[in-house]
Amino acid sequence: MTSALPSRRDEDWKHSDLRAALDGVAAPLSGEGNIIERLARAAGAFSARELADGDRDIVVDEIETTSFAPQAECVSVGAGGVYHRIVLQRGEGVALSSCRVRLGAGAVFRQFVIAEGARLARLETHVAVEGEDAEVELGGVYLCGADRHADLTSVVSHGAARGRTRQLVKGAARKGGRGVFQGKIIVEHAAQRTDARQHHKGMLLEDGAEIFAKPELMIFADDVACAHGNAAGGVDRNALFYLRSRGVAEGEARALLTEAFLLDALPAWAPPDVRAEIEARISVWLRGAP
Amino acid sequence: MLEVRDLRVSVGGAEIIKGLTLAVPSGETHAIMGPNGSGKSTFAYALAGRDGYDASGEARLNGEDILDLTPEARAAKGLFLSFQYPVEIPGLSAIAFLKAALNAQRKARGEAPMPAPALLKLLREKAATLNISDEMLKRPLNVGFSGGEKKRFEALQMAVLAPRFAILDETDSGLDIDALKVVAASVNAMRDSEHGLLVITHYQRLLDYIKPDKIHVLVKGRIVKSGGPELALELEREGYDKYLKAAA
Repeated sequence: MTSALPSRRDEDWKHSDLRAALDGVAAPLSGEGNIIERLARAAGAFSARELADGDRDIVVDEIETTSFAPQAECVSVGAGGVYHRIVLQRGEGVALSSCRVRLGAGAVFRQFVIAEGARLARLETHVAVEGEDAEVELGGVYLCGADRHADLTSVVSHGAARGRTRQLVKGAARKGGRGVFQGKIIVEHAAQRTDARQHHKGMLLEDGAEIFAKPELMIFADDVACAHGNAAGGVDRNALFYLRSRGVAEGEARALLTEAFLLDALPAWAPPDVRAEIEARISVWLRGAP
Repeated sequence: MLEVRDLRVSVGGAEIIKGLTLAVPSGETHAIMGPNGSGKSTFAYALAGRDGYDASGEARLNGEDILDLTPEARAAKGLFLSFQYPVEIPGLSAIAFLKAALNAQRKARGEAPMPAPALLKLLREKAATLNISDEMLKRPLNVGFSGGEKKRFEALQMAVLAPRFAILDETDSGLDIDALKVVAASVNAMRDSEHGLLVITHYQRLLDYIKPDKIHVLVKGRIVKSGGPELALELEREGYDKYLKAAA
């Protein structure tokens, strides 16, 4: 029954080979939603809820898989509601997560994801901007060490006027690690005066590291402000020499520069204890445990 | 203190420094002057150990050959290069940078890290003498700093790291006269019988404020003349033409 799983010929799964990763897992052939939502429903890990008009909520979701754990949630945010979501992912095996958010008028959804990957980790975010003047912020950092695969995939669909999206994803990969960023922003004809920006920057720390990026803007409205940028590169040699000339050893100089690059993507709205946890995970990933 | 003997430096296969010999004894300040393209910055980078600067010959700091050492090892031994173009590092605050640098040098010398309050006190004290505000210390390193601010910040790093031997590469470029006086005062405060200084400059102006004991003229990768401070005045008056012609 594994044939229900997408293969790498499926455009959305080109860089994450789910069929190979889930060899032997029976997947539901049909049902509502994307493959992660169907797998999560079959595993009893699907939730749906509503935030009433004007309500606020913050969720910190720690995903630590050992073998295979799909999870999915649907959240409908009423007019003027504010939903903050932070995902801290690490672990082994196959980690799959889908978050589907619908935004009413003036609603706000802010998300930050830190993913250290797994054999395969795919964290999907789907946002439907249904009310006018809604705001979306999607931040992320992926850290892919040897044999780690982290895939941050998102679709933001603007269907109402004057929406605003800000997306900033940064990542780093070492030899044998693979980072994937797929970000799609759709601006429907009705979504006039949408203001959307998407930026992804990846850092390849060693030869043999891989980063794949597929940024997409699909614009069907004519009165919009949209921009995107995508870049991948290594540590800046001038900066590296500057730090070393001041006495900082090469390994620590690289860690400091990579850390500075990544911390730029951290959100100002994260609670201080969560921010400290994110900073600690980045530092440990770069330098090993203290 | 610094002894350079028959130094040759190639960058990308091209020889830029072609047999340079120079000695700066402890307690002295020397200046290297030369026209554009004479190899002044290449010499400075090679001494600091930049990747891709292929150096042969000898360069001894306090008797120890440093040419095979990493840049960080040279720094720990007390060598400091004030950059002509300090590098902007987004996301790394000036405070965090100086803390990392100072403690890395202490670690390499087998000393304990400086406790944070002492470090902050030292930073503020030195920053005050250079008119550098607390707010500037918290900003990302050199990002959005003016040319003069970057050079003042180089001087701050020098004051905090307290090197035994410092090379100032075109420290006067980008500085207005007031900032130049402030930077020169900070540099001069470090001059004593234990320290050495090599000032690389295009113009005589800087040498009015940091007075050298000796001046060397660098043309096409070689020192073509050495003399006392009066040599700077001659160069200011007559330019480098006669040396360029002689070297051609």
